[in-house]
Amino acid sequence: MTQPPDQRTDARSQTVPTDEQARVEAAAARTGAGIAALRDHPALAPVLRNLGLLVVLALLCVVGTSTSPNFLTVDNFRNILVSSSVIGVVTVGMTFVIIGGGIDLSVGALVALSSVWASTVASQSHGAAVMILCAVLVGTGAGIVNGVLIAYGRLVPFIATLAMMVSARGLAAKMADNKTQIVTVQQINDIALKEYAGIPLLAIIFGAVVLAGWLVLNRTTFGRRTFALGGSSEATRLAGININVHTVLLYALSGACCGIAAVMLLARTTTGSSTHGELYELDAIAAVIIGGTLLTGGRGTLVGSILGVFVFTTITNIFILNNLATSVQNITKGVIIVAAVLVQTRATSRHVST
Amino acid sequence: MSSEPVPSDPAGSPLLSMSGIVKDFPGVRALDGVDLEVRAGEVHCLLGQNGAGKSTLIKVLSGAHTPDTGEIRWQGRPVTLSTPTAAINQGIATIYQELDLVDGLSVAENIYLGHEVAPGGITRRRAQNAAAGEVLGRLGHTDISPTREVGTLSSARKQIVSMARALSRQARLIVMDEPSAVLAQDEVENLFRVIRELTGQGVAVVYISHRLEEIRAIGDRLTVLKDGRTVATDLPAASTSTSEVVSLMTGRSIEYVFPPRPPKPTTSRPTLLTVDHLSLDDVVRDVSFTVAEGQIVGIAGLVGSGRSELLETLYGARRRTAGAVTFDGRVLPRGRVTSSVRRGMGLAPEERKSQALLLEESVLRNVSLSSLPHFSRFGWMSRRKERHDVTAGLASLQVRPSDPGRPARTLSGGNQQKVVLARWLLGDTRLLLLDEPTRGVDVGARTELYKLIRQIADDGVGVVVVSSDVPEVLGLADHVLVMRDGTAIHQGPADELDETRVLDMILEGTAA
Amino acid sequence: MAALMDNLGRRRLLTGAGAAGATAFLAACTSNAESSAPAAGGQTTAVATDNAPGKPITIGFSAPEADHGWIGAITSNAKSQAGKYSEVTLDAVEGTNDVNQQISQVETLIDKKVDAIVLLPFDGKALTETGLKAQLAGIPVVNLDRVFADPRAARTWIGGDNYGMGAAAGTYIADQMKSKGISEPVIAEIQGIANLPLTQERSQGFADALGEAGFKVTNQVSAEFTVESGQQVTADLLQAAPHIDALWNHDDDQGVGVMAAINQAGRDEFIMVGGAGSSNMMKLIKSDNSVIKATVTYPPSMASSAINLARLIANGRGMSDLVEPDVPASITLSSATVTKANVDQYLPLAFPS
Repeated sequence: MTQPPDQRTDARSQTVPTDEQARVEAAAARTGAGIAALRDHPALAPVLRNLGLLVVLALLCVVGTSTSPNFLTVDNFRNILVSSSVIGVVTVGMTFVIIGGGIDLSVGALVALSSVWASTVASQSHGAAVMILCAVLVGTGAGIVNGVLIAYGRLVPFIATLAMMVSARGLAAKMADNKTQIVTVQQINDIALKEYAGIPLLAIIFGAVVLAGWLVLNRTTFGRRTFALGGSSEATRLAGININVHTVLLYALSGACCGIAAVMLLARTTTGSSTHGELYELDAIAAVIIGGTLLTGGRGTLVGSILGVFVFTTITNIFILNNLATSVQNITKGVIIVAAVLVQTRATSRHVST
Repeated sequence: MSSEPVPSDPAGSPLLSMSGIVKDFPGVRALDGVDLEVRAGEVHCLLGQNGAGKSTLIKVLSGAHTPDTGEIRWQGRPVTLSTPTAAINQGIATIYQELDLVDGLSVAENIYLGHEVAPGGITRRRAQNAAAGEVLGRLGHTDISPTREVGTLSSARKQIVSMARALSRQARLIVMDEPSAVLAQDEVENLFRVIRELTGQGVAVVYISHRLEEIRAIGDRLTVLKDGRTVATDLPAASTSTSEVVSLMTGRSIEYVFPPRPPKPTTSRPTLLTVDHLSLDDVVRDVSFTVAEGQIVGIAGLVGSGRSELLETLYGARRRTAGAVTFDGRVLPRGRVTSSVRRGMGLAPEERKSQALLLEESVLRNVSLSSLPHFSRFGWMSRRKERHDVTAGLASLQVRPSDPGRPARTLSGGNQQKVVLARWLLGDTRLLLLDEPTRGVDVGARTELYKLIRQIADDGVGVVVVSSDVPEVLGLADHVLVMRDGTAIHQGPADELDETRVLDMILEGTAA
Repeated sequence: MAALMDNLGRRRLLTGAGAAGATAFLAACTSNAESSAPAAGGQTTAVATDNAPGKPITIGFSAPEADHGWIGAITSNAKSQAGKYSEVTLDAVEGTNDVNQQISQVETLIDKKVDAIVLLPFDGKALTETGLKAQLAGIPVVNLDRVFADPRAARTWIGGDNYGMGAAAGTYIADQMKSKGISEPVIAEIQGIANLPLTQERSQGFADALGEAGFKVTNQVSAEFTVESGQQVTADLLQAAPHIDALWNHDDDQGVGVMAAINQAGRDEFIMVGGAGSSNMMKLIKSDNSVIKATVTYPPSMASSAINLARLIANGRGMSDLVEPDVPASITLSSATVTKANVDQYLPLAFPS
């Protein structure tokens, strides 16, 4: 199959850049990919990616300090930390699911169901350990159901978890007979009261879940596969990874986080109720999105999500410290979500254009 | 030609004449001086090998691409087809292989999509249905109800709807890109009947197909493209011999240097893969072949011949409906990619950007994706070992730039393909399946890729290469399968074949 | 989790066994047997002469979804009161917070030609037309608590006094502050859902009563009638106000959360007044070992009275202790201030949250 190359071939090879990569680079340089390359730098990337949120948080602190004498106190920061802890744990699970290319609308309902199931008279009669185990098992079990429906039942995540959201809250209401179940087990209530070295136990649990989540996401094969699955499920499947099993594990993880959050909420409110965790799904998704995670999956950071939680909690805190109405607070939150997502999509579209 | 005055009687001149059309893409000149002349009421067939420029020419005609130089005259007057809408408004309609119909709408709504029968913005459903019925009647298809939902129609009938849509826009020229690829034999005959209805009404058809028997049956004249240029035109479609067509299509001026085959016959090596009477519905039928260690098996065939599906089925990405795949002495389970990969198979799929790569992720993470267990203990990653091994792998494949931290999307096509190869070489892959490995890869980078594939084989890895580029299959492979309509119509050593014979088989369907 | 990834076969076995065990375990945790005590309270003792059996009647009943204690008590009170009369059949439709659905449910009751309808609308304004329709069809409507926009939409209205409730809480707190000799007290208020008319009426009454004593509300936050929201806003409120003298919480359902936040913050320098009158809060008032010293009632027993009124109207009777031969057009229940002194009297009427 070898023929002497004719002259025209030679002529053409001169008009075309010989190095294919050089051509791609040149094209990239024209469209201003220099900044993109900087953004992709491994050391700078995490800071740059969350820079916007850090600035917002700093601005909020300035506003808080200048408007209320009670803002810049140790007690208040402890308060913000504890206020963030329950929704923060839920957000850790949500971050995994969204990076993996899914969505979990059932988190709030799972928190409610776990809290109710763990605080029934029967559960409470077995003591704190069984209550905790019960909450985590219920959350994980419901998460597995979500995952199986999505991975093997081929349901769209939005639909599967929407169905779970409705039915789990319904089950919680039925189980509690629409009543608020008071927690009489003191060890559970103590979780909200205990402090170690001045740090509330709830905040310690929150920190531990975040740390564990960060390590799993960034240092394990599970985390790698989560990013891959969200980036391209087809490419991940063809790379030989069992994406069905992974999907189930992702939703189970989110459910487990809901179970842990339910225990924390049991302690904090001293009750289990089917009204717990209302709109957690939206709060968690909002925090993940303003934290820079793509709603389509594949890219995102846990640190960003947690910063997102802090931003929302701090806003609420400042508004209450200043005795301002909830309506204004909600407007502010909405504006921040839109602003953050606009910045994010602009950054991404610049990426794509390179 | 361009100096010709506008004729007073447009009917006497060709409906469409294109001359000296040139279209450059970065690194590739897709069209290098194409001339094409189409008369009203004729079926003009377009032939050419993969990469000859047919698709680009269609896109120029449909307004999707604007040519760099050259002239298009439509009904005697020079025109610019800058957008698809402009082309449609001139009366040029294109029917693509992937039909662009909206499944959820009715037949009539699809036909009039974008130019609804709606005086004053209020849709007149009854009038529109009647008009649609009339257009379908002109195509001899009163049996398709205008109110039926398009999603419930067969591909053949969807094609008719597409043609009706073109007619409803007063199209004078309809371009059909391999319309028979999705049709059964009796449906093809019906298509021909409809085409004759159209030409009888003065509509011209540009018909693209690889099947010479179809071209003989329906075509009036024939134009052959090669290397982005018109090599022959105004040939009579019915009487031009196959050997003449094939000789016009072959002998491309761009030749790649293929690495030499190993001197020893590779058949003496142990067998790695045995594909035994493998079938996938009607797409792949009863295909059997073997791959030995260090052997490169090439599969040649047209788009739609079942070659990619064959590869995906033996990989486990599709569930085979019959037959067996034995790899390394064990029968693989049906439709389980994970178990194929665990035993040492790897696939570089056709759509590299969507099926193989995580474009936003770093090269490092793309390469290590399939062999994460190698770098982890109880799921905990050893990132140092990962970086070390990946860097070494990238260096041995000469991926440029060698920085493993770069996002995969910033790499060129050739380097992206190397990243996919590096992924599989990092694990203990013993059989590599390559689907169109040089698609989107620059001319210069191809030779390097060929050398690399041969090196991989020389290290004892079995390789299966699928390509629509016949010279590529012949130059690279030791053993060749020719696929047509889902079956392997020929198998044999590559050095016993030449491009002409393979093309002959692909086009005529006759085993040599 | 990641460790599990590598050992597929083993994991499958483990989760299989684990799942079976977990199911049995979780099933054991669902029982709520002890908490299903009979609904307390709600049985107003109707005047003896009105109690004579009348003709057999069917009373239709519709209320919002029983998603919290107070509405739950409304529904169960209505049912148990109707059960006391052998000639009364109660046709209670499923509670809903969807106005559309409630409208169609009431329309079904009209089509069934029930003898009277007791209706607690999710939104009084939205159900007005439906009430009118029933009235025009000759079915008397007893409007419970949330008021229709048009008085013709109901034969009679019975409900609580939101303004009076706030005023009662304000008066109690003002008295306490004065008796303690605090001249400029820090008074905090925890509302329910801020944009509801009932919340605004309660706050108005509270502010007016305090105003008469020369005091004002210094901190105001709003929760959402749920335990969790009560806890959340109270935690922030306590942060905003390092010292509080008095606190009024609109709703005892969310009050559980409010109490949790107070206990977690270890605060006890103030007195707290509840709202609505749940059994939880009354028990705490009775034991007198927490900040809560009083609650102002908004009794769900009104549902029992509403059933009685519907029965009287359907039989063409009046209230025997009144001179008039027919039932009055509106009855506003007074909001009682429950303290340790009179808690025993109100405990039977309290509702479980």
